Amino acid sequence: MIETLGVTKAYGKDEYAVRDLSIKVEKGEFAFLTGPSGAGKSTLLRLLLLQERPTEGQIIIEGRDLQSLTPSEVQAYRRMVGFVFQDFKLIPTKTVFENVAFVLRVLGQPVEQQRRRTYTVLKWVGLQHRHNAYPLELSGGEQQRVAIARALVNEPHIMLADEPTGNLDPDLSLEIMNLFRDINASGTTVLVATHDRELIKWVGRRVIQLDHGHLAGTAPPPPPPEPLL
Amino acid sequence: MTVLAYSIDEALASLRRSGKSAAVSVGTIAIAFITLGGFLLVSVNIQDVLDRWLEAAEISVYLHDTATSEERAALQDFLRARPEVAAVEYVSNESALQRFRKDFPELADVTSSLSQNPFPSALEVRLRGDDSGASAETLAREVSARSGVADVQFDRTWLARLLGVVNSARLAAALVAGILMLGAAFTVGAVVRLSLYARRDELEIMALVGAPFSYIRGPFVIEGLLLGGLGATVALMVVGVLYSFAGQSLGSNLAGLAEDGQLRFLGYGEIALMLMGGIVVGAAAGTLASRAAHR
Repeated sequence: MIETLGVTKAYGKDEYAVRDLSIKVEKGEFAFLTGPSGAGKSTLLRLLLLQERPTEGQIIIEGRDLQSLTPSEVQAYRRMVGFVFQDFKLIPTKTVFENVAFVLRVLGQPVEQQRRRTYTVLKWVGLQHRHNAYPLELSGGEQQRVAIARALVNEPHIMLADEPTGNLDPDLSLEIMNLFRDINASGTTVLVATHDRELIKWVGRRVIQLDHGHLAGTAPPPPPPEPLL
Repeated sequence: MTVLAYSIDEALASLRRSGKSAAVSVGTIAIAFITLGGFLLVSVNIQDVLDRWLEAAEISVYLHDTATSEERAALQDFLRARPEVAAVEYVSNESALQRFRKDFPELADVTSSLSQNPFPSALEVRLRGDDSGASAETLAREVSARSGVADVQFDRTWLARLLGVVNSARLAAALVAGILMLGAAFTVGAVVRLSLYARRDELEIMALVGAPFSYIRGPFVIEGLLLGGLGATVALMVVGVLYSFAGQSLGSNLAGLAEDGQLRFLGYGEIALMLMGGIVVGAAAGTLASRAAHR
């Protein structure tokens, strides 16, 4: 479960990116974080990834207060969180396979396990045939699928995504959202930040609305959606 | 894959990528260590010469013609009891004359024409090589005050002074080598920071996926270590070439100074000191620079 209790993130005096924000995402839930530019969506995700620390308030993930974590514990915490960014953040000098296997490599996994697990997730996102390609040889949708494969390869409990379809056309966006639904179906908690209302409507999950760093409201999950593709 | 294997892999890849800047870094470290190695080479050879001279150093105690055999025996007992004394030999005035005639045969006729033996009897005192010189000077003063002694000649004073000068020069050279090494460490740090910058995307991903700090920083520590070790190895090779060149060109001039007229190369201890120095300086610079990797 993800829970924030009165979280505030200020940059200087009277410049609040997030202010007194209390939200809750249940374990195994798929929720959207939405709002206009500057609403605080990305800041909240950065706080959840511990790229930044809140100025005030508490963030509780699976019962642990993130404020109390030491630097080594932060790294251990991040191993159970997958992340996907709008700009993919792939390493251009590494192949698709290397980009995904890299995560397991730097976590000290045995080579055979790296190979097996990487091929499994590449197959799952439908890119096993492009494992030798470099990121710049791929389409935007393919690059985002590599990023999702990289986020999944370590079997995270939580998946965070910041505008994952921001650079993609509507068809590719639906394709990516289908992947997130499948990830969620396997029990992973998914929190996707997006300002794409059409996409939210199509996917049909609970929405957490932010505005100027405040919680503007939550919309309950609509009835189960039809398959997208 | 262990953190060490991963770090070595990445460090080698980074060195291949950085090419020229890595070469500059190795060169800077090499210059610092060539200075240190050259200084060590000169130092060990001067020390050898001084040690031999110090071992051969003596106190000559000249006796009055009127000195009795009891006074001489008491003096010998006194000297042999002293810890800084290695040996005491009595040279009678007759023996001294014979030695002179043997060493300077062309002047033998001169001594024959003398009505009496001009050489005094003497005690030749050989000192231990490890003695500092200060206690020998005290001994010389004490001996000169004893009865039966006409004069005392001590030839270690100038050697002790020379040793002092050499020690000062050694300190100055160590200081220069230290400053150069500090410069070398900064260069290694700069090269490691360049690698860090080149890999910033990877480092960001590593931090976000929760890679242990040893995996994040390890490659940069190993890179510094390799640069330092490589620089020291290059320096040793250059010092080796300088040594053989100096041995050839100075050989005849050294005949009277160095043992067998040959310069001595650095011993295993000095070689290990240089290699370890390079590795430690490089690894320390890499460790400091790598702190920025997970900020």
